[in-house]
Amino acid sequence: MSHMANPLATPDQLFQRRSYGSLPIELQDTIFFATQCLTQAAGLLLQLPQSVTAQANVLLARYWLVESMMSHEFSDVSAAILYLTAKLSPHPRSPRDLSNVYAYLLSPTTTSLFHTPTTPPPPNTPAAHYRSETAYQAFHTRLLTLEARALHALAFDTHVALPHALAVTYLQALDFLGLVGKKKEALGARAVAYLNTALLSPQMLYLTSQPHALAVAAVYNAARDAGAKMPECEWWEVFDVDREELGFLVVGMRSVEGWGGRIRGELRGMGVERGMVTRGVVEGELRRRGVVVVVGVEGGNGEDPEEEMARRMDEKMAEMEADV
Amino acid sequence: MASKAKSRWADDEGDAALESRLKKEKEEKKRLKAEKARKLEAEKQAREAAAAAAQQEGDGTNGPPAKRRKISPERETTQATGHSDESNGAPKLLRFNGGAFGKSRSVENYDKLNDIEEGAYGWVSRAKEIATGQVVALKRLKIDPKDRGGLPVTGLREIQILKDCDHRNVVKLREVVVGDDTSRIENIFLVLEFLEHDLKSILEDMPEPFLASEVKTLLQQLASGVAYLHDNWILHRDLKTSNLLLNNRGQLKIADFGMARYVGDPAPQQLTQLVVTLWYRAPELLLGTARYGAAVDMWSVGCIFGELLTREPLLQGRNEVDELSRIFALCGTPTDETWPGFRRLPNARALRLPAAAAAAPGRGGGGSAVRAKFPLLTAAGVALLNGLLALDPDRRPTAKEMLAHEYFGQDPKPKQEAMFPTFPSKAGQEKRRRRETPNAPARGQQAADFGAVDFSGIFSGREREERGGGFSLRMV
Repeated sequence: MSHMANPLATPDQLFQRRSYGSLPIELQDTIFFATQCLTQAAGLLLQLPQSVTAQANVLLARYWLVESMMSHEFSDVSAAILYLTAKLSPHPRSPRDLSNVYAYLLSPTTTSLFHTPTTPPPPNTPAAHYRSETAYQAFHTRLLTLEARALHALAFDTHVALPHALAVTYLQALDFLGLVGKKKEALGARAVAYLNTALLSPQMLYLTSQPHALAVAAVYNAARDAGAKMPECEWWEVFDVDREELGFLVVGMRSVEGWGGRIRGELRGMGVERGMVTRGVVEGELRRRGVVVVVGVEGGNGEDPEEEMARRMDEKMAEMEADV
Repeated sequence: MASKAKSRWADDEGDAALESRLKKEKEEKKRLKAEKARKLEAEKQAREAAAAAAQQEGDGTNGPPAKRRKISPERETTQATGHSDESNGAPKLLRFNGGAFGKSRSVENYDKLNDIEEGAYGWVSRAKEIATGQVVALKRLKIDPKDRGGLPVTGLREIQILKDCDHRNVVKLREVVVGDDTSRIENIFLVLEFLEHDLKSILEDMPEPFLASEVKTLLQQLASGVAYLHDNWILHRDLKTSNLLLNNRGQLKIADFGMARYVGDPAPQQLTQLVVTLWYRAPELLLGTARYGAAVDMWSVGCIFGELLTREPLLQGRNEVDELSRIFALCGTPTDETWPGFRRLPNARALRLPAAAAAAPGRGGGGSAVRAKFPLLTAAGVALLNGLLALDPDRRPTAKEMLAHEYFGQDPKPKQEAMFPTFPSKAGQEKRRRRETPNAPARGQQAADFGAVDFSGIFSGREREERGGGFSLRMV
């Protein structure tokens, strides 16, 4: 059964996200979307199979329901969880590889992850995404610390059941793959595309629904898009999904595109044209809005503010060194 | 999102409305179904009339296909509605429960009682959960802070695999807890169910070997645990008596998954050959294969079988070469007939086999010394042991085949677990005399040592136990 079931978020955890003292919810959504995109991009550049990157996406989403978002740099969390997921998969990647890929993705000269360019990109010089040895060592240390933290936050449960294979099985069961030619390919690709897009959804569909429901919703959406004929009965019940859940997921999956557009706009508003949204940017945005959020205080693990400050300064120094 | 998400948990007017809608839908469906049935009936009659007419005309070729074309979609829809009707409108949907996720707890929830042992992957100690008073085994993962690769992948795999496993013959992982200082995770403890014994220390301490019926119980449990693992694509890769735990109720559980990993089908191309403790290592591993499968575990099961019978490890090689020569001495030397293709393995090219073996035709018991080494074992037992210790991995039985072996069906039957004798628990620090001598079980000294210990209370009932009808007297 472990291939069919995931641990899901509890109502409490979802509620806590929007509770007093946390970040404004739309900022959380922005950070979530941006970091998931970054993880996907890193997975591609590290030549990891999508099954590994998608697992990392799900683990990252779980992690942020347990740990506060602002306690560590977003890109570091992304890197650490991708490192951990790859390590447990048959495709491990070295810290050095991760460092290079993230340095490249975070560099201001890299093509933007979020926007179609309005201005021609600055000349892409290798020096711009070169990380000095000191900066690499600092990154490596953060990576290992965060790896352990993430495991602690998830109680060492790294199990993720992905719906992709189920979706293909369901397509077969519904005889959709009996179609000929292009339409068949389009249908399968569309269903998988919906599943991958759903990973980015700030609604955290992978934490609220089991894989079989996600798979059915993706098949439904894909069939609708392709104009394929679906059975007239309530076929989703055959796959143990009820109408309400299916409806919720169908709408949820279709809305990611709209979300994405809005969030991209917001990122632009925060001045993130290239590179990645950082804690600094979010803090600036908070100050601009006049919102007081206690930043850097994590639930329970009480890192010393001074220590925190020292760490942040170290990071700054490393960055500056890297820039030189 | 809030409102959408809410409807999934909250019970409010929305739900009531939904329910009434569902009810309406159900009634609508019922009505439709009745209508369909009526229509179908009418159509059927019409068709029958038509078919009869057609038959009268003597033109039967067009009839059947037309019938099939028309009727199948109708039948499908009626069946579908009929099904949801049967279950009273609300279809029974399977619900999957994957649990929740959250931070791991602190080790401070447990009180340490005593150390048990130090293995290659960590320290094990006996502890008590403060809240419940339950006794557990705490296994601390060895973490090298200088290792720049982070947490050891073997430890993480062990956690991952044990979390996925749920079988009565596989040790249960209750949770993973961490040290109190959570700002840096250096102490990671696996909270495992506590079992009083490991098989190795029992074998070392017992004055006379297990009865045939007891050996069968243990083997059966071992095989069913291994079958479960292999069914779930897990290779244990370190089966040995010290990794088999036994509680006082005669239950055996497989433990220590530090070497285990998931494999696929076909098996991964490059697996490390540096697995399995030498004495239990299969010949194909010794010959350096990089592609192996479940059969390496079955070889270890064979070695354990032999060890259960004699109380000492079957093949105690001093090094890889010595281990291999002992294997060949016991199981015969491989030939192209008994193990096709063994010559192509990396380490087999340099292998020089005795000429006598080459002359010996086939094996079939000829090359094998198993029969001679275990004179008290029944023919079926010898057949099973010979199968498990087949040099050719493809000829070894799978764990499932092993469970179906006639050896377990013959008298004496496997002893009921509840009837199993109990032993003083070393892990529980119960009274025992002998000190552990891990790798050198000295048989000669045992009798002298045991003279001082009064085991009569433990084994006093043994004479009265069923012995399986003169089984141990039979010499073949």
